[in-house]
Amino acid sequence: MQNAFKSSKNFEKSDNSKKITNSSNQPNKSSAEASTDKIIIDQVSESIIKTLESRLDHMCIKKSDDERGPRCNTASVPGIVTQRSCVYGGARVVLMPITDAIHLVHGPIGCASCTWDIRGSRTSGDDLYKTGFSTNLEEKDIVFGGEKKLFNTIIELNSLYQPSAVFVYSTCVVGLIGDDLKAVCRESEKITKCRVIPVQSEGFRSFNKSLGHQLACDAMLDHLIGTGKLDDKLKSEIDAHPTLNIVGEFNVAGDLWAIKPLIEKMGIKVLSVLTGDSCVEDIAKAHYADLNIVQCQKSSNYLARQMEKKYKIPYLKVNFFGIGDTAKSLKIISEFFQDPEIMEKAGEIIKTEIETVRSKISHYKKRLTGKRVAVYVGGNKAWSLIRAFEELGMNVIMTGTQNGLPEDYERIMETVSEGTLVVDDANSMELSRLFQKYQPDLVISGAKEKYMTHKLGIPFCDFNHDRITSFAGFKGFINFAKELDRAVSSPVWKFTPKKYQGIQNE
Amino acid sequence: MSCANIIKKERTSVINPLVTCQPMGAMYAVAGIRRGLPLVHGAQGCSTFVRYAFARHFREPSEIAVTSLHEDAAVFGGRKNLISGIGNLAIRFKPSLIGVISTCSSEIIGDDMGGFIKVAIEEMKKRMGEKEAEKIKIVPISTPSFVETHFKGYDNTIKALVDNLACDPTEFNEKVNIIPGIVNPGDIREIKHILALMGIEGLILTDISDPFDSPLRPSATEFKPFYPKGGTTVEEICDTSNSLGTISLCRYAGSAAVSLEKKYDVPAAVGPIPIGVQNTDQFLRNLKKFTGLEIPDTILDERGLLIDSMADIVSRYLFGRKVAVFGDPAITSGIARFVCELGMIPSVVCTGVESPEFVEEMKKVAKESDEPVDVLIRSDLRDLETHLEEDPVDLMIGHSDGRLFAKSLDIPLIRVGFPVYDRVGYHRVPIVGYNGGINLIDRITNTVFEKYYDKEHWKLQQ
Repeated sequence: MQNAFKSSKNFEKSDNSKKITNSSNQPNKSSAEASTDKIIIDQVSESIIKTLESRLDHMCIKKSDDERGPRCNTASVPGIVTQRSCVYGGARVVLMPITDAIHLVHGPIGCASCTWDIRGSRTSGDDLYKTGFSTNLEEKDIVFGGEKKLFNTIIELNSLYQPSAVFVYSTCVVGLIGDDLKAVCRESEKITKCRVIPVQSEGFRSFNKSLGHQLACDAMLDHLIGTGKLDDKLKSEIDAHPTLNIVGEFNVAGDLWAIKPLIEKMGIKVLSVLTGDSCVEDIAKAHYADLNIVQCQKSSNYLARQMEKKYKIPYLKVNFFGIGDTAKSLKIISEFFQDPEIMEKAGEIIKTEIETVRSKISHYKKRLTGKRVAVYVGGNKAWSLIRAFEELGMNVIMTGTQNGLPEDYERIMETVSEGTLVVDDANSMELSRLFQKYQPDLVISGAKEKYMTHKLGIPFCDFNHDRITSFAGFKGFINFAKELDRAVSSPVWKFTPKKYQGIQNE
Repeated sequence: MSCANIIKKERTSVINPLVTCQPMGAMYAVAGIRRGLPLVHGAQGCSTFVRYAFARHFREPSEIAVTSLHEDAAVFGGRKNLISGIGNLAIRFKPSLIGVISTCSSEIIGDDMGGFIKVAIEEMKKRMGEKEAEKIKIVPISTPSFVETHFKGYDNTIKALVDNLACDPTEFNEKVNIIPGIVNPGDIREIKHILALMGIEGLILTDISDPFDSPLRPSATEFKPFYPKGGTTVEEICDTSNSLGTISLCRYAGSAAVSLEKKYDVPAAVGPIPIGVQNTDQFLRNLKKFTGLEIPDTILDERGLLIDSMADIVSRYLFGRKVAVFGDPAITSGIARFVCELGMIPSVVCTGVESPEFVEEMKKVAKESDEPVDVLIRSDLRDLETHLEEDPVDLMIGHSDGRLFAKSLDIPLIRVGFPVYDRVGYHRVPIVGYNGGINLIDRITNTVFEKYYDKEHWKLQQ
């Protein structure tokens, strides 16, 4: 396959950047050396792209002698088209996969309307979590307070659905009018005898939705984990097998179902999953596990660290995207238990699975080798996918996150190869300029970025909530390769303007 | 002749909502302005989740900026964020118009948006020079999320645009203002097609047809920054006061039409949405009234094609079937009436708003129906679901959010309106006008075939 976009000259010429008034003409020394890297960059201008001055050091190019990442975890500049979300959004993505709970949004209708059933988490049991619940705060509630309405709503919903738990999410409005969420939850819990769990996720509490992840973890730590009783059944299970929790796996597109069997095949019992395809009662018993393994280290490291403190459960960072990383993850899990039988089984699984996968992806690998990828995601995937791309012969030329914390960029900087561009909190204009300048063959991101990328004539693969194919584990990797090939090799890209000059008027 | 039973939701909670909050309607309206940018004065989620919703439905990018309010703004107000936000947006995007959209948080904090905008304009003049700054119109749009729904937000926005921009009338421009409501690009294109056949130049407030359905053709698109082609120009909005009349295609968005009538004597006609035969007839009569032009043969032919298709299909496959209609109040009332024209029974019509106009409209529709019509107002999808469990129908017509209970109740769902994210092309195919009627009949009848007939049977052709 010919790389359709290697030559970016046409596009560079049309880059009439003079039209844009800019406050950022200072040279940026750090990026000037990038031209020595293997990425072909025709000419490196003073800064990576034109943008606001305060944004310049949010982008950097990885160099061997300097592992410093970009500036991060700062408030977004007002008046840009941000790709970020709010704290409520952050809390919701972590908790929403809990299948048998009511997820009640205490706020004006929009906060629930725009977010119900948009998390692509799949379920093998209850589907209550797919229902959208709102207290629908209105003007009179703003004036007189929404506590009574919230209370009535919880009582009403409990009698309608008899859920295992009600998660009550606070929104901006609730923080401003000062409803006492915790008190209402306590009161209604007494009456309903159902767990009513407050999540203090006022949207504006931080510019970084990571706070939402943390608040969601706090809600589970304070109200759920540790409340489950050790019954006979559980006791016999725990005695019979080593156990672990899968933390930070949300079963988007069924990813969990590709991971869980691998662990069970090793003879380890998965006690609970936080929170993909989970039930409230399973999470309540999570503290009985021997080990936590953390898949999404963006949202859930905090949870694992807190559980280590509180329940002395050690944790391992794992990554089930990519062949090598999946194998490595299985290996470190088996080594943790120091059981020769488990280690032997891990070895067997790794050996047979890798052979199968390698043979099945060879076709795609041929077509994908040499392609250049740009990744722009919420967090974890900014580093956890890099090796997976390398295994397909692809180069990650750019990676970045909307909400990265310093620890996230540390991970990114250690993972990416020299010359990779790393960006933080890039807004839509910056993204389109970066894509135009670096001309990746493929962009990995979410729905908001998808159509902008297509308009630039660049193939796209969704790696967010909207994904419908599992990418995790060994089997998922075959799907992953297939999806990437579909995106990149689609004939439509022969007809995009850069390539298809036949009937252009200009 | 039959009656409408008005049923209001009794529950406190909302379960599977049919509406969203005001700012979304405002973002939709501003997106229809050429080089127009919505600037949401609120938290980041307020813009992000709406961009996601637009992306899902239209499969197009949408540029919506936000002032990123954080905790300090709750204490000290959002002044700093709004002023620097306007400045940054102006300098980087060089828009023609910024619609500053309030949210629940900025309304509760009590930010004086009008005052802040004045300061922002002064700052812009300093940063960009007076001449450049004056090219950018800034319109404050008040859309408190805790009052009414996104339909009200749309109405407030169109009114704010007209009130802020319409110039003192000079001379008639021979145009007709059209307020389409929250419809699809295909619908607006169909309206323009009708206007073209009539020989009328329309002034669409606002025209999302190209911005939300734009070609992949970078040479034809302004890329730095990204602006889609098309949309209503600011000059056109200024010119609305010189038009022959204003037709709002939906009852929920008549404020701008009424305002133009009061201030500048531009006559107004509000609703109904031209779905089906009689509503489209009404639309054409309004056009004729404002322009004095005759309805051309070409349009009568299109009407004839719709009637022909009704004659061929209705009695055999559709007559007497019970239908549930839900979603947008304008679209549902239009479809309910069309359903009656097709000899079917709109046995339940469900919407998330509580508006007297909608109730009146439904009472009229019920008179045309052979059987009583249950009208659920201020309702949600859970209400509709329980209603249908007790009183099932043959077909459901509404948006994609009804898909889950349509499946569990085993009732086929015919998708219309916003959002439709689980089928493709629906944003492009009109349901308004006579042509839209034909599309709807085809869509409905093919669904009836799939569900209620042996679809391979040769007799189906008869």
